Amino acid sequence: MPADKKNGKPSKKSKNDAKYEFAGASDDDESDDEDYDIDLARIDDTDSDSEISQEEDEDDEDEEEEEEDIDLDDISIDEEDEENVAASARIRETINNKEALLTSLKRFALDTSSNVPFSYHQSHVSKKVTEETIPAVDDDIVRELAFMNQSLEAARAARVLLRKEGVPFTRPNDYFAETLRSDEIMEKVKGKLIEEATAKKASAEARKQRDLKKFGKQVQVAKLQERAKQKRETLEKITQLKKKRKDGASTGLGATEAEDLFDVAVENELKGGNSKKRSASFGGGDGGDRGGRGGPNKRQKKDSKFGFGGSKRHAKSGDAKSSGDLSGFNAKKMKSGGSGGPGGARAPKTRLGKSRRKAQAGKR
Amino acid sequence: MATVYKSLSKPSADKVATDADGANKGIKRNKQRVLILSSRGVTYRHRHLLNDLSAMLPHGRKDVKFDSKSKLYQLNELAELYNCNNVMFFEARKGKDLYMWFSKVPNGPTIKFHAQNSEPQTQQHTRIFDPLYVRVLTRIMVVHTMEELHFTGNCLKGSRPVLSFDLAFEQEPHLKVIKELFLQIFGVPQGARKSKPFIDHVMGFSVADGKIWIRNYEIREVEKAKGEDEEESSNKGRKSKGGDKETDVSLVEIGPRFVLTPIVIQEGAFGGPIIYENKRFISPNQVRSDLRKAKAGRHNHRAEQKRETLGKRSQLGLVAGTKKERDGLDTRELFA
Repeated sequence: MPADKKNGKPSKKSKNDAKYEFAGASDDDESDDEDYDIDLARIDDTDSDSEISQEEDEDDEDEEEEEEDIDLDDISIDEEDEENVAASARIRETINNKEALLTSLKRFALDTSSNVPFSYHQSHVSKKVTEETIPAVDDDIVRELAFMNQSLEAARAARVLLRKEGVPFTRPNDYFAETLRSDEIMEKVKGKLIEEATAKKASAEARKQRDLKKFGKQVQVAKLQERAKQKRETLEKITQLKKKRKDGASTGLGATEAEDLFDVAVENELKGGNSKKRSASFGGGDGGDRGGRGGPNKRQKKDSKFGFGGSKRHAKSGDAKSSGDLSGFNAKKMKSGGSGGPGGARAPKTRLGKSRRKAQAGKR
Repeated sequence: MATVYKSLSKPSADKVATDADGANKGIKRNKQRVLILSSRGVTYRHRHLLNDLSAMLPHGRKDVKFDSKSKLYQLNELAELYNCNNVMFFEARKGKDLYMWFSKVPNGPTIKFHAQNSEPQTQQHTRIFDPLYVRVLTRIMVVHTMEELHFTGNCLKGSRPVLSFDLAFEQEPHLKVIKELFLQIFGVPQGARKSKPFIDHVMGFSVADGKIWIRNYEIREVEKAKGEDEEESSNKGRKSKGGDKETDVSLVEIGPRFVLTPIVIQEGAFGGPIIYENKRFISPNQVRSDLRKAKAGRHNHRAEQKRETLGKRSQLGLVAGTKKERDGLDTRELFA
């Protein structure tokens, strides 16, 4: 094996040599160290816990030492050349001494084969290479899932094996003991979970509200648009009507003037437009309808009742005209003392005194 | 007197225990003790990780900070002092980088890892001069401890974990060594002093991207179908009949969470020849310096570009004060 090594991987060996040199000062020291190593190994073998078979290991150790011996010899021969080569290449040689790794492993490995109970080591090796199940290492979720699946596989297998071996697996509910993470931390974790849940709920609520609001706004906008459209239509109609009236303004001048003054025709037109479905008659109704608000002719009635324009003071006081107006005077009526009138034969109605009226009221 | 009694009764009790186990008569008891300690200059995250790990290992012995970073072989003596045959040493450098050393103390191998968390990827980093490296992702170098709140699992302190290894650990010799070391350090040996009798957590070791990802999960039993409870209770009576299929297990992460990049394996305990070296590992110092250089290079590149354009423009006679020489193909020359 050492010969192989010498021929096959000179660079690797040289690295080992270098390391060895680094570790010890000189060849003499090395040999001392080796002796020490052997002693140590013996001692360790006798009382090390993890050994399986001592003979094998000692053999391995010996082999390894042989290797090292030869390596040491080599140093003196081709040290310079190797170094030169290394310097020219300037590439860091990677070390992966598989044999040494395996012997080292054999020296301290625990027996995890199938003839040992599982509870001895409780280790499980997955059936698949986990990295192959991860499409992209940078994807946190996928990666963690792959890791979890690997552990889950182990947990399932372990549970079956341990139950088979009669090892208690599940913790009973009444078994209380100190836990890995303290209660305060778990409390915090719980608090955080609750907080997250409430935050999620609140945000959902808020979103719902927002959506509703948005919808409400849409309705409002539609209404406004409808109103604007209506207004536009009425204005159009008014202008049309005005044109029409200008064209055909001939008959019934006074009346039309009055109507013009109060836009009666326009109102008529509008009303006709509004109630197109039932009649579509021109000027059919009496008075316009102002957007549904107020009654027909309300303003006109109010104006006639309360007046429009000019002062309202002394409107009812007598003046020369009223005092000169004697149309309501009748001399005959005045002379007859009321008898010649419509109720002449009847006794004059006189208002009785209060007490009498009361008495009469009681009789009735 | 009590000690005498103890010493007399112990071997027999031990024998009884091994007899009860039956099959493992030929196997030696798995005795492991782990010395857990850090160097000076660890950050709080590193310290928390150390505390978490020591809480998970009832067979661990936590010690005060170790004062030296160069004389690591002194750890051997320290471990011997504490009767430990494993050492887990946290070496902090520059107050930010964490290297973890795992070692079998008397003569076993020593493995040096670079510990980091690879959660958020920050930038891609290219190395031109080494063709074997195409791309290395550098990440924020922190670890997730158990105190972080997005882990909801919990388990008994000191219960023996099930160790779940990736199949990749069986394929390469150096990974085999790493696996064995993890098995002995993270696996709580049977009958360890403070261990609890139930098994309620799994430690997962996976290889991805040339790194070893370590996770810790709680095993939670969940109902698979109806009538699970009675099955559970009756199962205790007839355990020998094998596990029931009614309950299933699910996993909930406990933490801590960290990623180890193997750097070097030494044959001895904190010494000896190097038998494995990871060529894919770039030291965080290198990464940082490269990043810095790349940043500085941006300015140089820009300045150079500026100069070049200036030269070009002056050649064409576009810059004030310079005149382009008339050549034979000039318009004025051709149509003169």
